[in-house]
Amino acid sequence: MLPLALVGLLVTAIVGFILVVLAISWFSNPPFGLGNAPPQPIAFPHTVHAGLPAEGGVGIQCEFCHRNVTKGAAATVPAVENCLFCHNQINSENVVAETSVDLAEVQRVVDRFNDNNPIDWERVHRLPDHVRFVHEAHIRFLTQGESREVTLPIGDEQPMRLPLPVGESCSVCHGNVAGMTEVQPQTGQSLKMGTCVDCHKTNNVATDCTICHK
Amino acid sequence: MKLTRRNFLSWAGISAVGAVGCDIFGKDGEELRLQSPVMQPEDLVKGRDNWYATLCRQCPSSEGVLIRVMEGRAKKVQGNPNYPVNWGKQSARCDSGLQALYHPERISGPMRRSGARGSGQFAPITWEQGLDTLSAELSARGDGLLLITEPMRAHPALISSRFADAFGGRHLGFEPLDQTTYRAAVKSVYGQDLLPDFDLSHANFLLSFGADFLSTWVSPTRWSVGYGNFRHSEGRTERGTHVQVEPRFSMTAANADKWVPIKPGIEGYLALSLAHVIISENLQAASADVNALTSGQGLAALDNFSPEQVGPILDLPEAMLKGHSPADWIRELARDFAGHTPALAIGGDSAAAHSNGRFNLEAIYALNYLVGSVGEIGGIQMNPGSPISDLPASSAVGTLADWTSAAGDIRDGRTRMLMVHTADPVYGLPASAGFGDALNRDDLFIVSFSPFMDETTAMADLVLPDRIYLEDWGSDIPEPAPGYQVLGIQQPVVNPLSDLDPRSFCDILLSTAQELGHDGDLPWDSLQAALRETSDALFALNRGSVKATSAGEFWNNLLRQGGWWDERETGPTPSTPNGLYNQIASRAAQPSYSGEGLYLMPFSHNTLLDGRNTHLPWAQAAPDPLTTIAWQSWVEMNQRRMEEMGLREGDIVQVQASQGSITAPVYPNPAMRPDVVGIPLGQGRRNGPEYATAGDERESSNVLSILAASQVEGTGALAWASNRVQISATGQSMRLVKFEGEFTSREIGNQIDNNPAEEIIKTTSPGEHH
Repeated sequence: MLPLALVGLLVTAIVGFILVVLAISWFSNPPFGLGNAPPQPIAFPHTVHAGLPAEGGVGIQCEFCHRNVTKGAAATVPAVENCLFCHNQINSENVVAETSVDLAEVQRVVDRFNDNNPIDWERVHRLPDHVRFVHEAHIRFLTQGESREVTLPIGDEQPMRLPLPVGESCSVCHGNVAGMTEVQPQTGQSLKMGTCVDCHKTNNVATDCTICHK
Repeated sequence: MKLTRRNFLSWAGISAVGAVGCDIFGKDGEELRLQSPVMQPEDLVKGRDNWYATLCRQCPSSEGVLIRVMEGRAKKVQGNPNYPVNWGKQSARCDSGLQALYHPERISGPMRRSGARGSGQFAPITWEQGLDTLSAELSARGDGLLLITEPMRAHPALISSRFADAFGGRHLGFEPLDQTTYRAAVKSVYGQDLLPDFDLSHANFLLSFGADFLSTWVSPTRWSVGYGNFRHSEGRTERGTHVQVEPRFSMTAANADKWVPIKPGIEGYLALSLAHVIISENLQAASADVNALTSGQGLAALDNFSPEQVGPILDLPEAMLKGHSPADWIRELARDFAGHTPALAIGGDSAAAHSNGRFNLEAIYALNYLVGSVGEIGGIQMNPGSPISDLPASSAVGTLADWTSAAGDIRDGRTRMLMVHTADPVYGLPASAGFGDALNRDDLFIVSFSPFMDETTAMADLVLPDRIYLEDWGSDIPEPAPGYQVLGIQQPVVNPLSDLDPRSFCDILLSTAQELGHDGDLPWDSLQAALRETSDALFALNRGSVKATSAGEFWNNLLRQGGWWDERETGPTPSTPNGLYNQIASRAAQPSYSGEGLYLMPFSHNTLLDGRNTHLPWAQAAPDPLTTIAWQSWVEMNQRRMEEMGLREGDIVQVQASQGSITAPVYPNPAMRPDVVGIPLGQGRRNGPEYATAGDERESSNVLSILAASQVEGTGALAWASNRVQISATGQSMRLVKFEGEFTSREIGNQIDNNPAEEIIKTTSPGEHH
C-alpha cells in the first residue's frame, strides 16, 4: 500500500500532466513547432516567385505550382520537375550576371532533380486528421457568384468585395504569402475549429459536424 | 510489488497517460512533411476515360468491343454497339481479356532455350539477339518452315500465309475442335466457301442438332442476341420454338423447349427421315424443288429413311415418346418443323464429330431447302467475300489429316523449322496423333510467339513474345459475317506495361521478310501500314458505313467505329443443287467408335473453350452454366448410372479410352443419357501460368489427350466424338468446387420412372406455344 502523500503526489502529477498536454494542444497550432515557420530543406522564397514584378518578384500565380488547389481537396506541392520548368535555365551554370538570387539554393533544387531525389518540405499549415478541408470549394466561394461585400472573421477582418481573382483568394486565409520569404501562418489565425465555424455562420453555410469532420 | 487490483489499475492509468504523452511530444516526421515528388505525376486529379473501339481475340468469333481506358490503362471491355457481329453484347470471355493484358505471368521478353527441349528452361536474351537468331534460322531452314497460328482471317492471315509462301514453307491454322466438317457440309449443300449466318431473330422454329450455339459454337454471342429476339421481340406474333437434338444436355439444350437425347451419331438419319416425312406428306415449302433435290426420284431417293426404319435406331426414351411409336414421333416433329416457317435446321459440334459427321451435317442442312429457308428471312443467310480481294475472309485450318502428315514431315526432316503463334497443337491434338512426340528432335528449330507459356512454347528453342491484342493492330473479317461485308479493325488501346517488352508478331514477320529479301508480296513496314493501305482502298470504294471526305478522315472514322461494313453488299442465294438427297443418302453410314463402353462426349468449356483461356482466373472461376463447377475438370454422368456403379459426386474415376486414360471427379447429372459421359475441354495443362497448371492430375485433365486419332470420313477432321470409354472408381474422392452448393440436382415436377434423362425434359412440345 502506497503512503497517502505519495498517492496525492501521483494524482497531482497526472492531472498536471494532462492539463499541460491540453494547454499545448490548445495554444499551439497545431501541436508543436507549427506556430513559427519550420526550417525548410531548401530556402524557397515566395517573395521571389509569387511576389509582384514591381516588388522584385516574377509574379507566378499560386495555382501554377499548387496545381490542385482549384480542383480538389489538397492544394498539393509541385513536383521537382515543375521547378525545372524555369530552373533548367535559371541556375548557377547559366546565370552569369550579378544577381540577388541565391544560386547555391537553386542548384540544390537542380541537384534533387538530377539525383532523382524528392524534396520533403516541412508543413506550415496542418489540420488534424479528423478534419476534411476542401480547397476547391472555398476558392469557388471566394471567386465565383454575384458581386457582394463580406466581412470574414479571419485575418484582418476588413470588409472585402467578392468575387476575388483566384490569386487573391488564397491570401484571405493564408495572408500575403507573396510577401513572405519564409511562409508563416497568418498572424492571429489559429486554424482552429472556431475559425471555421465562425466563418461558416457568417456566410450561412451549414455547420453540421459532418460538413468538416470525417 | 504485489499484483493487486488497485496496483493493476494504477499501472494501467500511468501507461495510458504515458502513451498519450509520448504520442503528443513525439514528433511524427512523416505526418509533418509534404513531399515534392521529382516527376510530375500524370494529371490524375480527375480521371477522364477514353473509349476505343477494337476487336476481342479471346474466342474465334472476334467480337467488336469498346475498351475503357483511364490514365493509360485498360479498365473495362464492353461490346461495341455498332459492330454488326455482336451488336453491343459481349461474352464472359471478352471480359477476361483484361486479365490477359495484366497477367502476372506474361512472358516479358525474348528468351532462348537453356535446358533440354521441353524442360521449360529458358534464358532471357535481347530482341536484337532474338531477331538475329530468327533470321539466321530462317535463312538456313526457311524452305522447311511450318507456320502454325490460331485460325486467322484478314490481314494477319494474309501476312502469315504470304510469309510462309515467301520462304517456300506452309501456313496452317490450328484449333482443337475445328469447323472443317461443317465447312465441307456448307460447301456440298450450299456451294459456299464461307460459313453462313442464321437469322434466328426472324425464325419461328429452330431445329438444332448438337450445336451448342448459345455457349461456344462458332458465333455464340451473335446467336444469343438473335435467340433473344427469336423468343420475344417487337412485332413477333408467336414465340419461336426450339428443339435441340443431342446426346448431352448442353447449355443450349437447357434453353430449348424440347431436348431430344438421341443416340450419338444418328443425327443424319433423323434428318433424312424428317425429309422423308416432309416429302411424303407434301409439307415442303412452295419454293422447294423436290424434283431437283432428289434428281427426279422423289421419295424413292430416301427409301431407306422412312420413320419406321429410322425410328428404332434413334433409341429415344419411352418417357419422351409418351406411348407413341418412334415413327409417329418423327412424323410429329417433321410436321411441326415444316408447319412453322420460317424454320431453320442447324447442326454442328458433336453431330459433326463422328466418323459419319459429314453425312450428318449434310442431311441436317439439306432440310433448309425443303422448308424454303435458304437465303430467306428467318433462314440461312450466305455471306459475301472480302471487300478487298486478296484479304482472306475465311480461316485456313489444318485437319487431323494435315497434322498427321505434318508430324510425318517433321520426323522425315522435310519440316525443319516450326513457327508457332498462339496455337498449342501439343496440348490440343490427341496424343495418338504423334505431333507432340515428333517435336522432340534436335534438328528441328521451334520459335514460339506466344505471350504465355504453354505446352508447345515449352518445347520451343526461341520465344519471341507477341503483344496482347489490346496492345496491337489487327483486323478481322468475321466468319460468319452477318450476311453482308464486314471488315473489323483492331487498334492498340494501351501500351504494354513498363516491365514487359513484347513485339508485334505481324511486324516481326514483315521486318524479317524485308531483312531477308523476301518482301516481294509483303511490301509494308508494319501491320499498321497494311491496315492504312486497306483503309485507303475502302475509302476509294466509296460505299459502306464509314463516311469521310478524305482518306485521313476515313482512317480516323474507321478506327473510331471499329470497322467497316456495307449492308447492301449481301451474300449470294444458292440455287437448289441437283440430286443433293441422292448424294447424301449414298453417304449414309452408322458411326464407328474406338474403345468400349460409354460414349465419350468432350465439349468446349463455356469460358475456357478448348483450353485457350485456362490461364485467366476469371475464366477459371466462372462457373459452368449447368453444373456450376469452377476451376477443375469433371466427368458428367447419368445420376442413376452412377448409383448403379456405387459412385457419388466427387468420386475420382478413371476414364479409360483406347488411347490412354485420365482421371477426374464425377458429377451426377439427371439430364444425361445413361450411355454417355461428358467431359469439358480446357484443363490438364502441365506447362504455363499457375492459374492453368495449379490443379493436379486428379482434378485437372486434358480429355483431348486420350482421343483416338480417327477422322471424319471425307473431311480428314478429328472425329472427337468417336470414342467409347470405361469408367472405373479409383477409390479416391474430392469435393467439387461448385456454385450450386451441396444439394444434389433433382427433377422438379412429376416423378417419371423410366429414363432419368427424361425427368427434366420440358413439357412444352413443338406447336404448343406459351
